[in-house]
Amino acid sequence: VRCQLSPPHRALQASAVLRRVSDEQKEPLASSSQQQFDSHPTNHQPEQEPQGPRPSYTGQGGQESEDYESEEQLQHRILTAALEFVPEHGWTAEAIAEGAKTLGLSAAAAGMFHSDGSELILHFVSQCNTKLSELLEQEQKLVQLGEAEKKPTDQFLRDAVQARLRMLIPYIEKWPQALSILLLPHNIPSGLNLLTSMIDDIWHYAGDQSTDFNWYTRRAVLTGIYNTTELVMMQDSSPDFEDTWRFLENRVADAMNMGSTANQVQSTGEAVVQGLMGAAVTVSSAETSRAVR
Amino acid sequence: VPAGRVSLRCCSTRVSLEGVNRPVIDRIIRVDHAGEYGANRIYAGQMAVLGRSSVGPVIQQMWNQEKDHLKKFNELMVAYRVRPTVLLPFWNVAGFVLGAGSALLGKKGAMACTVAVEESISDHYNSQIRTLMEEDPEKYKELLQVIKQFRDDEREHHDIGLEHDAEAAPAYSVLKTAIQLGCKAAIFLSERI
Repeated sequence: VRCQLSPPHRALQASAVLRRVSDEQKEPLASSSQQQFDSHPTNHQPEQEPQGPRPSYTGQGGQESEDYESEEQLQHRILTAALEFVPEHGWTAEAIAEGAKTLGLSAAAAGMFHSDGSELILHFVSQCNTKLSELLEQEQKLVQLGEAEKKPTDQFLRDAVQARLRMLIPYIEKWPQALSILLLPHNIPSGLNLLTSMIDDIWHYAGDQSTDFNWYTRRAVLTGIYNTTELVMMQDSSPDFEDTWRFLENRVADAMNMGSTANQVQSTGEAVVQGLMGAAVTVSSAETSRAVR
Repeated sequence: VPAGRVSLRCCSTRVSLEGVNRPVIDRIIRVDHAGEYGANRIYAGQMAVLGRSSVGPVIQQMWNQEKDHLKKFNELMVAYRVRPTVLLPFWNVAGFVLGAGSALLGKKGAMACTVAVEESISDHYNSQIRTLMEEDPEKYKELLQVIKQFRDDEREHHDIGLEHDAEAAPAYSVLKTAIQLGCKAAIFLSERI
């Protein structure tokens, strides 16, 4: 399920597609930005063209070969800079304004974004998910090179969820606010998308190769574990959140047990079906032989 | 976020997801997987009724080929990180019921069902081949090869069905139309859900 993001959420797309700046799929984005920001007519051009009336931001890294920065990249940089101010200002336009100022832009740049801080939160979540993917990718490389042991599934899931939740620690005071903003109707599609792709990533690196309904049950279970652990973390005041990690361990253990119970239920179901089928065939062949006689 | 995922390398197999048209490939693999799964269940249903009859070996052989097809799509699904259709449990039952039901109409009924389904599937594979050729034949070479091979196999099953007097089945044209309508609906739903 891929949802269409509404124009205010292009900043989300910006942070996610940083590596695909030159991809042709950005043309629809460029034309939608044309509607909103008439003062930036250059967005109509594909980003590959180096000349443009806007000042170029060089030396910031991630510029590819162009010295012309797209609006998406700029928004991405502003939001990243704004994160530093979140512990103080919360997920608000003030934080974005402060972030813009550190980049040498006017605080009015915050006007590019929604006033409720949605893009900032979505950007942060997307960034965390990308970091998690990179972390899991690296771990997997180590296992493939034989430099690390392959973890059992429950430990893998525990470690992955813990690593991801730990990224919230610097912002933990303001995270409940972020969660409630993510529950606003206009954020639900993007928020859900980010959540599902993160969970899918974790299972993928855990080595899930299911192609049947298990695909859904596993992801649903892990989503439940992640969400409940996140909520426990919000209320946890133990040192280094050890209560949260213990809760996580218990939930993952429950999930593993659930798996074997499900298997038992399935084999019972299969046995019952086979019995019924055998009965049906016996009856129909008994009928046929009676008719022959 | 969907857009960012395209550049991830798939870990367990060597398929690179770089630059792949995700929406199109997702749909193709999801619906083909569902189709092969359904075909498996249909043959299973037919075997359950006609397994010990004279057409048993023929159906068994076609079933074995479908099992290979399903195995291949399972691999492709993992390689391209495509999610399976949520309707799989439903196709599980519906396929079996269709196979068993058509077999209860007799050997010709089973063959008629085979002809109808295989014709639907090969038409469907043909349109997918067209889509992929329009997209980028080079990039999707492996997938194209697989689909072409499977399309040929399904056509063969269709011809086997005809050879075994499918057309002499009771209410052949009604049966065939009804089954093909069902297949169209199944394809539509499996692509999306």
